[in-house]
Amino acid sequence: MIDLKNISKVYANGVEALFDINLHIGKEEFVFIVGPSGAGKTTIMKMLYREELPTSGQVIVDRVNVTELTAEQVPYLRRNIGVVFQDYKLLPRRTVYENVAFALQVTGAPRSQIRRHTMQALELVGMLKRASSFPEELSGGEKQRVCIARAIVNNPPLLLADEPTGNLDPQTTFEIMELLDKINRRNTTVITSTHNKSIVDIMKRRVIQLESGRVIRDQQLGMYHSK
Amino acid sequence: MNILTNLEFSVVEALRSIRRSGLMSLVAIGIVTISLTVFGIFLLFAINLGNMVSFMGTRLDIVAYVDRDLNQDSAQILETAISQIPGVDKVNYIPKDQAWKTFREEFGAKLDIADVVKENPLPNAFAVRVRTPDILPRVAEQVARFSDVSEVRYSGKLIKQIQNLVDAVRIGGAVLSILLFFATLLIVVNTIRLTVLARETDIYIMRLVGATNSFIRWPFVIEGILMGILGGILGVIILRFSYDAVLLRVKSALPFLPVVADSGLLTFVYVCIGISGVMLGMLGGYISVSRILKEKG
Repeated sequence: MIDLKNISKVYANGVEALFDINLHIGKEEFVFIVGPSGAGKTTIMKMLYREELPTSGQVIVDRVNVTELTAEQVPYLRRNIGVVFQDYKLLPRRTVYENVAFALQVTGAPRSQIRRHTMQALELVGMLKRASSFPEELSGGEKQRVCIARAIVNNPPLLLADEPTGNLDPQTTFEIMELLDKINRRNTTVITSTHNKSIVDIMKRRVIQLESGRVIRDQQLGMYHSK
Repeated sequence: MNILTNLEFSVVEALRSIRRSGLMSLVAIGIVTISLTVFGIFLLFAINLGNMVSFMGTRLDIVAYVDRDLNQDSAQILETAISQIPGVDKVNYIPKDQAWKTFREEFGAKLDIADVVKENPLPNAFAVRVRTPDILPRVAEQVARFSDVSEVRYSGKLIKQIQNLVDAVRIGGAVLSILLFFATLLIVVNTIRLTVLARETDIYIMRLVGATNSFIRWPFVIEGILMGILGGILGVIILRFSYDAVLLRVKSALPFLPVVADSGLLTFVYVCIGISGVMLGMLGGYISVSRILKEKG
């Protein structure tokens, strides 16, 4: 599904974010990327949906060399990748339904399909009842559910969640992780970056640990800290 | 791709955006209106001056008055002689009775000349049309040399002056219109850019979920077009009513002045204004969103 080959990244301001990263992530895996702030977790995520380009090395997603895409091809890559954010990035003046449908509208999907897929996505995340609410009326956990619904509404094979539970209490965090797990079991590759030790330890999935831009551990059925 | 759904999406987004930036949108529409109105005034002014020149060009040829006692045969010979001068297009003999009739018809409505002047005071004349205005003086001089010609008149100088004025108005109008166009464009661009900034998250999400740049651009282009259309319609309404009012006044005060009242030509001017508005808005919308798309491209 994903291959990172000799990835290095130096930002224009001189900050060195990643050093010679090599990773392979298979189809339908569930992967945690852990590590302190500034370790390079977000940079890796952004490279996968080509928000950032590596300074050197190659990024392959679903057999497509992301580093070589033209600007015109990028939108089509992104239709196959769902992204979930710590701060949700919901559009404030739109209802829950509109927020999710938006992701389909902007890809020019036909109306009938928009309605059907939006309803399905909302049902999957358990937000069908709140479809006509506005984001400001929702709790953090509910907002994150809507954000997830938007990310998966066009059935992407890959879901990226960058610190999805960073603003949530432990109970809600657990619910959101259950939801991501459920999505993973529907044959979607899920990559989650997190600081949260307890969910990593409970879920026991593959853990990639970053520090100062280097992979210092890559372990199947791992815990947050190496033993 | 479902074009209708896309168009609907773009229009809905554009309207949402115009409503959201309310006052600023109104200001932009107002400025588009003013610019287009000024542009229209120049256009109408230039068309009218051009019309005046061509009108005078056809009416004010060289007029050669001949001696009162010239007989028919001599007149015939003189006509042939004048028509052989190089540059002369055609020569018309105007008997004094006909000239008097024409004069009374044209001015009779305004002043009752027949009450003041009982006898026909006009001499017989030749109307000599030349091919181009610049040879008027030379031809006039040659016509004047015939001994039977008592007096020669032509208004070449006036035509030349008006022609110069027309050129100046055209050039000045074009330069001013271009300046106005860019000034207005700048305001439209900045107005829509405000809505672009207000919708930065929307655009970010659109890009993230895989909207193409052209798709993201459409709502802003349509927003610009809507502003342009509104500004254009308002401009045309203002122009129409004020032009009609001016036309009415000029017609009653200066009835001999040839003012353009041809509805086809005026419609053309108004359509031009409308199209300019649309172009202005379209370009404004396109430019306003381009920078943000390029930055993140």
